Amino acid sequence: MIAPIVQVASISKSFSAQPVLCSLTWDIHPGQVIGLLGRNGAGKSTLMECMLGLREIDSGSITIYGEDVADFSEATRARIGYVPQTAELFDWLTPNQLLDYFKALYPHWNTTKVENLLSRWGFDQLKREKRINKLSGGEKQRLSIIRALAHDPQLLILDEPVSSLDPIGRREFLRELIGDVIERDTTVIFSTHILSDLERIALDVAFLKDGQIALQANLDELMENARRIVGPSKILQHMPISGELRRTTSADGSTCVIARTNEEEIGALTKNLNGSNDIRIEGLSLEDLFVEVTQ
Amino acid sequence: MTEHTTNLFTIATGSTEPIYRQLVEQARRLIAGGQLAPGDSLPSVRDIAQALAVNPMTVSKAYSMLETEGLFTRRRGIGMQVADRNNGTQSIKNRSELLRPTLERAALEAKQLELSADAALALFQQILKEKL
Repeated sequence: MIAPIVQVASISKSFSAQPVLCSLTWDIHPGQVIGLLGRNGAGKSTLMECMLGLREIDSGSITIYGEDVADFSEATRARIGYVPQTAELFDWLTPNQLLDYFKALYPHWNTTKVENLLSRWGFDQLKREKRINKLSGGEKQRLSIIRALAHDPQLLILDEPVSSLDPIGRREFLRELIGDVIERDTTVIFSTHILSDLERIALDVAFLKDGQIALQANLDELMENARRIVGPSKILQHMPISGELRRTTSADGSTCVIARTNEEEIGALTKNLNGSNDIRIEGLSLEDLFVEVTQ
Repeated sequence: MTEHTTNLFTIATGSTEPIYRQLVEQARRLIAGGQLAPGDSLPSVRDIAQALAVNPMTVSKAYSMLETEGLFTRRRGIGMQVADRNNGTQSIKNRSELLRPTLERAALEAKQLELSADAALALFQQILKEKL
C-alpha cells in the first residue's frame, strides 16, 4: 500500500486538565476522501487544528508529507488547504484585498479558478469591494472556501465547511468538490453534521469518540454490513455475533446488538431464524450508524 | 437507440442502501422494464456525478458492477451502453426477482403490523390496480 501522507501517531491533547484527544492514531492515504464524524465537543476541530499545527499537542507526533507538524516547510504548507469552522477572515479587508494578500503568500495561485468561483458564487464587483464584516455568514464561508481552494491544494481539510450555507450553496460546494477537487485526486478530510452531504462525497468515514478514532471504514462496505439485531435476551445472549459494536439489554428482556458483520453471516443468521418472529435483523442508515457508534 | 440523460437516475440519501447500490438497482429495473434498451447510450460517470452531486468513484463503482453483470458494455470512444441481450427481453421470473427486496421489506412490515397474508395481498392487489 502507498505510504500515508498524514500520520497522526498517538497524540494527546487536553484543555485545562480536560482530555480531548487520548493517544489518537490516524493514518490518511493519498486520494482518500474521509468524512470525520463525532458528536459536538468530541474534538473534531481540535484534531484538525492539531494536524495543521495551529494547536500544540501534549504528546505524540503528527507528520504530513513526511514533515513534522511543528516544522512545516513553505512547500508543504502550500500543499494544504483549510476551511475553518468559523471563517477567520480579516474583517476589515474587502474580498479582493483578502485574496490578493493570500495570493502573495503562495507560490501557486489559480487566478482563473478564483475568478470563476467568485462570479459563480455571487461575488459581483460591488461585493468584492465591500468590507468582509459587512458580508453575511454564508458569504464569508464561501470566501473562506474560495481562499482554501485557490492554490489547488493536494490535501484539503474542511471543518464543517458548509454550516452557514443554504441547501443550494451546499450543493454548489459539493459540485465544486466533485468537479474539481476530487477529479484532481486531492485528499479530503471533511467534518460535518450534514450526513446527506457526507454520504454523497465521502468514500470512507471515521468516527471520533472518547478522544480516539473509534471506527474507520469504507462507507459502502459499512452500510452493507452493519446490522441491528433485536430479539429476546435469552436467545441473543448465547449468540456470538462477529464484529459486534454495541450491545444493549433492556429491562423488558430484549437485547439489541449493533454489529459490523458480513454477508455470509447475515445469510446464516436469517436462515437460523427460520422465519421466526422473535428476532429482527435490520440495515442501518448513516444516521443510525452515527447514533450507534458515537453515543 | 436512445441517448439517455442524467435524469435516468435518482438517489436518496439517508437510506440503508449505499448510493452505488441504488444506482445498480435502478439500472437493473430500467433494463428489465425496457426503458433502457440494448444499444442505448448512457451518460458519462462525470455527468452523473455532477448531476446527482455524488462522488464520481461511487458512480464508477455502479457502472463497473453493471458491466461485470453483463448489463452494460463499454464501447471504445463511445462510452457506456446497454448490452445486447441473448433472449430478447428478460423472463418474467428474472424481472419478478428484482421486486423481491421491496416485497421482503413489505412482508416484514406486514408481519410487524400483524396483518394476515390475505389482508396484505388484498392491499397489494388494490395498489397494483391503482397504479396500472
